[in-house]
Amino acid sequence: MKKILLDDMILTKDLPTAAGSKMLDGYMSLFDATVVEKLTAAGFEIGGKVPVGEMAIDLVGETCYAGATHTAAAAKALKNDTVSGVIAFDVNGAPRRVAAQNDLIFLKPTYGTVSRYGTVPVACSGETVGVMANTVTDCRQVLTAIVGKDERDGTMHADALTYDLAMDMAKPAKKVAILKMAADAEVTAKIEAAKAEMAANGIEITEIESAELMAAKTAWNILMCAELCNNVSRYDGIKYGYRTKNYKTIDELYTNSRTEAFGDLLKTAILFGSDVLSTKNYMAKYDKALRIRRVIAEVFAKLFANADAVLMPACSKMAYTDADSAFEENKYTAPASITGLPAVVAGGVQLIGPAFADSALLDLAKILVKEGK
Amino acid sequence: MDKNTLLSLEKVNQLSLTDAQRDAVLAFFAKQEEDMAALNAIDTSNVERMVHVMPILTVVREDVEKKLFTRDELQKGAPETMDGYWQVPRLVE
Repeated sequence: MKKILLDDMILTKDLPTAAGSKMLDGYMSLFDATVVEKLTAAGFEIGGKVPVGEMAIDLVGETCYAGATHTAAAAKALKNDTVSGVIAFDVNGAPRRVAAQNDLIFLKPTYGTVSRYGTVPVACSGETVGVMANTVTDCRQVLTAIVGKDERDGTMHADALTYDLAMDMAKPAKKVAILKMAADAEVTAKIEAAKAEMAANGIEITEIESAELMAAKTAWNILMCAELCNNVSRYDGIKYGYRTKNYKTIDELYTNSRTEAFGDLLKTAILFGSDVLSTKNYMAKYDKALRIRRVIAEVFAKLFANADAVLMPACSKMAYTDADSAFEENKYTAPASITGLPAVVAGGVQLIGPAFADSALLDLAKILVKEGK
Repeated sequence: MDKNTLLSLEKVNQLSLTDAQRDAVLAFFAKQEEDMAALNAIDTSNVERMVHVMPILTVVREDVEKKLFTRDELQKGAPETMDGYWQVPRLVE
């Protein structure tokens, strides 16, 4: 039986789900996420959970309360070939960074094609259940098992009802646009290698620059934190999750439970999200970010009129230090997060395609990693 | 963002930060404010808000009552319960 691991953002009734947070330490869900049901029905065995950073908003899992990192756990299992894939929840690009830095494949599918029912909600308008794997073939196989209809998820794309990845909609890519972005020498070399591989396969390359796509990071930080702030307001130490021992009044119970259980990055995101939703900042920041989202979607639409995909880095470097921040590093991942477009990471670089071009992106990924050659 | 506004945000969000944490959060806010220049440089006066990234499926189902979970099941993860109720500190003296 093919074994699969799940991000600790995916609810399972037989395994605890902590979402990387002390707040949910030991939490047992009463039901399985739709992706778990679909995987089981397709003959996959759930091999366990992969620790994630708190609410999956950090770089690569470094804020997990338990200390274990996503990078280490997911990459090790895949590299040792003990599992077919990892179901990873892409909120702020962490799985894309993990894949890029560990020479793995990760597909963030088109928003609304894979059910989010039974995932720990963080930034609902952009977060996506994706697949990390050692090979493009494994990634496609797992993705085929989890895409499609789920009426329990009200944000499914209408076309997801008939979406079938096995019915390959891909046509061979002819043109790829490369978005110029600064990155270190190692990442730049990977971009150059990807360019060379595509050119060798007859794909025309054009270089582009876009101030709008560069603005995606700030706009996504605003939208993600605003949605996160609302979503984590449910954790109050009453109904489930962590409860402080240090309280006399109900306010002390709420405040001390949340203060003791949440990590620094999550607290910062909550406070920022609350601020951009305040009366004073709502129009200037939150509303502005929603309009920028449309601008970015229109920029991509224009690009895809002349190119099959956009190639860009997934990260600035191949290993992080304590000085790096997920809210800066997401400049590489925010364009696909904020628009819901599919993105694949392969050969250490990222390709973004039009909605529903997931299969075509996987074909391009095969070229980049020379799979099947 | 100043310290007093941050203190009110903490209160609203049921959080209590240390001074060192407050300094870090204020630095984060300052960086985000600086980055707003890139957003403000883009004219969005004639651009509509984009709340959903894709046309979404409107879920419609029969309005049939379903008992998905029992009270015991729902309270399984509760930190403290008493006689089938969630237990909280006394609200009224």
